[in-house]
Amino acid sequence: MTRSARLAVRQALLEQRSFWRSAEYALFTFAFPLMILLLIGAANAGSHLPGTAIANTTVFVPGILAFGVIVAAYANLGTKVAVLRHDGVLKRIRTTPLPPGAFIGGLLASTAATVLLLTAATGLIGWLAFGAGPRAGELFALVGALILGTVCFAALGLAVSSVISSAESAGPVAYASFLPIAIISGVFDPTFSGLPSWLSRLVAAFPVKALAEVLQNTYAVRPFPAWDLLNLALWTVAGAAVAVWRFRWHS
Amino acid sequence: MTDTHVIVDRTPPLVTDRHAVHVRGLRMSFGGTEVLHGVDFDVRYGEVFCLLGPNGAGKTTTLEILEGFRVPSAGRVRVLDMDPAAQAVRLRERAGMVLQECGFPRQARVAELIDVWRGYYRSPRPLGDLLEVVELTTFRNTQVRKLSGGQRRRLDFALALAGDPDLIFLDEPTTGFDPEARRRCWAAIENLRQLGKTIVLTTHYLDEAERLADRIAILRAGSIELAGTTHEVAIRAGLATRISFATPSALRRGEVAPPAGVDLVPHGPESVCHTANVTVTLRLLLAWAAENDLGDLTGLAVAAPRLEDTYLQLTGVSPDSGAVQDIGDHS
Repeated sequence: MTRSARLAVRQALLEQRSFWRSAEYALFTFAFPLMILLLIGAANAGSHLPGTAIANTTVFVPGILAFGVIVAAYANLGTKVAVLRHDGVLKRIRTTPLPPGAFIGGLLASTAATVLLLTAATGLIGWLAFGAGPRAGELFALVGALILGTVCFAALGLAVSSVISSAESAGPVAYASFLPIAIISGVFDPTFSGLPSWLSRLVAAFPVKALAEVLQNTYAVRPFPAWDLLNLALWTVAGAAVAVWRFRWHS
Repeated sequence: MTDTHVIVDRTPPLVTDRHAVHVRGLRMSFGGTEVLHGVDFDVRYGEVFCLLGPNGAGKTTTLEILEGFRVPSAGRVRVLDMDPAAQAVRLRERAGMVLQECGFPRQARVAELIDVWRGYYRSPRPLGDLLEVVELTTFRNTQVRKLSGGQRRRLDFALALAGDPDLIFLDEPTTGFDPEARRRCWAAIENLRQLGKTIVLTTHYLDEAERLADRIAILRAGSIELAGTTHEVAIRAGLATRISFATPSALRRGEVAPPAGVDLVPHGPESVCHTANVTVTLRLLLAWAAENDLGDLTGLAVAAPRLEDTYLQLTGVSPDSGAVQDIGDHS
């Protein structure tokens, strides 16, 4: 293992340790999606999508998987980097010989670990509590979709961190910039409908609904989500470009 | 403090003639505005070098260039025989930096944070040693956010020292601190010096420069006004030595004429004269006192020219304004 990789792993372990020590981060990141999963899942249990034999929960659970990915990769990473930048920690890191790649790599690896734990918990609870699991043979597709979603939203998280102007506004900005979209994307309500057509076209342009649909496809049979994959790929490229272009070590 | 002295004995300070920092014709422009107009100075290994000047003089910009954060518009800069901008990562392995206003990760504890920082370097200094040098051993398990400003600054020093660097940059290390916190920071900087580290610090406090620095360069409006040892700087500014004594009552009552050949100014209870030739003036004064039966001159004091006088003269701030401590301090 190269020195940079070793330093990145160290950094990731350090980030995980500080993540779990920080009650507000850990609790909010894990409790928020899992609470929604249990509460809204219970309300949906036993019902089916109108006019179909598809159980609501097989659409709802992967939607919460998408939500978990977004919370951990986008909101959490974006907030974390914004706070580190605002507190002057990034500036201080810059005075050390730690390679920037090892530092960012460590943050991303730690984010991936959080996503893994959160989606594993969501999937397991969804399966145990509501009997919703991925279709046979779709497990690899599910893992692939989770990886794509994590990469896409981590890039967007890094991008949004550079437009956050203070540590205090980091959390609100990160959450306010995706929660409304998640709600009208139907992530919390499989039967959500009735949006004006212009609004539903607009919502479809964002990556939230796209990730939810890609994940839902691995649980319930739906048309192959080619457009959604393209959507996620484009947002990944755009997010990474802005993240690299706008990245600053100091506020 | 006792523990610190053990370190002192182990590695005596060593000032050599080799240069840790070499700067010639340094120019820096932002937009169309030039803020450094050809700065020259050298810092020798093992010495404490101070860039002194009011805010806006270009101290921090100069430091940022030395640290490799900025590329100069023109001029030659060598730090530890490296080009700081081109060899930034290599330089950071051997140069510790304390920037102005740099934060700590939330929730970190003192020893834990220092240990993380040690991990960033190839040959770090032992943790216990670092805690000792900055006198934070008793705070090793304290959360960083519970430290006072002065303690945080000493933690800054420990992090800058984590990689056991040869050279340490300190940008305004005690700005905004109360006297006690400043004194402890100074003690920590003294400890760094005793470890044989070369230290480059900026400050707008005169007493800080006078107290800590082996050599000083006064930077004003992007140019070095004067450089040398504290004493040299004062002498070269053309300041005279100040001789004072209690005004003899006979002189005050006008019974005795002032001494000839001495520019003596009775200043109420104190008489003061300034001279470039201390020996001659003293001889004249003592002869005058003996002639007029004034006995010993009570409270006779000879004060070498002080940096403060030099600085005030150069920067044009009157000592009567009471701003001596706070020159340029806008924070």
